[in-house]
Amino acid sequence: MNPSLPAPAATSTDTRSNRPPGLSRGRLVDFIARVLVGGGYLYLGFVKVADPVGFLKAIRQYDLVQTPVLLNLIAVLLPWIEIACGTVLLLGCLVRGASLVSLAMLLPFSTLVLRRALQLQAAGALPFCAVRFDCGCGTGEIGICHKLLENGVLTLLSLWLLFRARPIGRADPPEASR
Amino acid sequence: MNRSPAPPVHGSRRPVVRVLVEAAIVALAGVLLGFVGNTLSPRGLRLTRDYFPAASTVPPATSVAPVAPVTLVTPPTAPTTTNSPTPAEVSSPLPTSPSGTAFAELEQRLQARGLRLGLHEEVETLFRDPRHESEQIIFVDARKDERFAAGHIPGAYAFDHYYPEKYLPDLLPACQTAEWVIVYCTGGHCEDSEFAAVQLRDAGVPPEKLIVYGGGIDEWSARKLPVEIGQRRSGQLLPQAP
Repeated sequence: MNPSLPAPAATSTDTRSNRPPGLSRGRLVDFIARVLVGGGYLYLGFVKVADPVGFLKAIRQYDLVQTPVLLNLIAVLLPWIEIACGTVLLLGCLVRGASLVSLAMLLPFSTLVLRRALQLQAAGALPFCAVRFDCGCGTGEIGICHKLLENGVLTLLSLWLLFRARPIGRADPPEASR
Repeated sequence: MNRSPAPPVHGSRRPVVRVLVEAAIVALAGVLLGFVGNTLSPRGLRLTRDYFPAASTVPPATSVAPVAPVTLVTPPTAPTTTNSPTPAEVSSPLPTSPSGTAFAELEQRLQARGLRLGLHEEVETLFRDPRHESEQIIFVDARKDERFAAGHIPGAYAFDHYYPEKYLPDLLPACQTAEWVIVYCTGGHCEDSEFAAVQLRDAGVPPEKLIVYGGGIDEWSARKLPVEIGQRRSGQLLPQAP
């Protein structure tokens, strides 16, 4: 997944009056962010749903909770929350709410992944980026630097959608007021 | 300067509340989907089950035999073949393999569960024992079905302990009549063999019979021993690399 945002298609001097409706730079960024974040959540959610035991084992390594029922609940519900989040993002409805849910999942989980990676680094006396493990993200075993970068990009895109996304079906505000 | 205020971007006077409500709707939809999906899925989890029983679990008394202390003793049913060494005989020096340190941790955990560790030499001896053919010695593969089909110790029973209902009806009678039950998984840090052995113990298999093969299928394969593919007793062996 290449998370880099696309360069503007044209300079600001020649597009203000000529830009076709619905293809403004902001809307293009919204669309790309929704597809990347929403598509990513859908894919990773279904991977986890297909192997709930694998996900259960993966989240157990974080010592999040000691109660079996709570651990099982996380393993059962989290992938479906990801799927719900991904679906509404792709559909373009409840975008800001879904972005908030995305951030609520990404930030704590990235912290846990980082903490686990530091534990493994200390245990194996490895360079940080050499640490690889199955973080339970649905991608199997993955390098920690790759994972943190991926999560960082998803976080930025979610922040964009939360604070800057424009509602679908509503006209862009006049350029002068932005 | 007389500037008219910019129109609200999202047309709501309370954007924070609106975002929170939207987030709650998305999360609630996910939770509902999760409960329904888990109920309908054949791979669904049982929410109240402890899939990782703690090491401090006290082994329950079984109706078959009392729980013996974890020492290398002869099982309650004495071996019938006189020439074959008992596991106690072959496993006396514990642990002596190159990865003895890792096995020492495993052995401690197993002892806390009333179980014991089996090292490779002992396990291979049991595999070659004639009682293996007559199912007096059985192997139990605690990995998931896909891994089992990709390669297992010949004649081993599959037992994915996360879905015991599927396997125990066939496996339990075999365990009850066997003299030794060797449970294994991938090896290394794999814990599934431990949890599977605990489940078998809790289901009534005397713990004295249960041996957890610490090296697992990885060590078995590395020593170029036969590996069966497909179903149990398929007769198809994985070709060994020269």
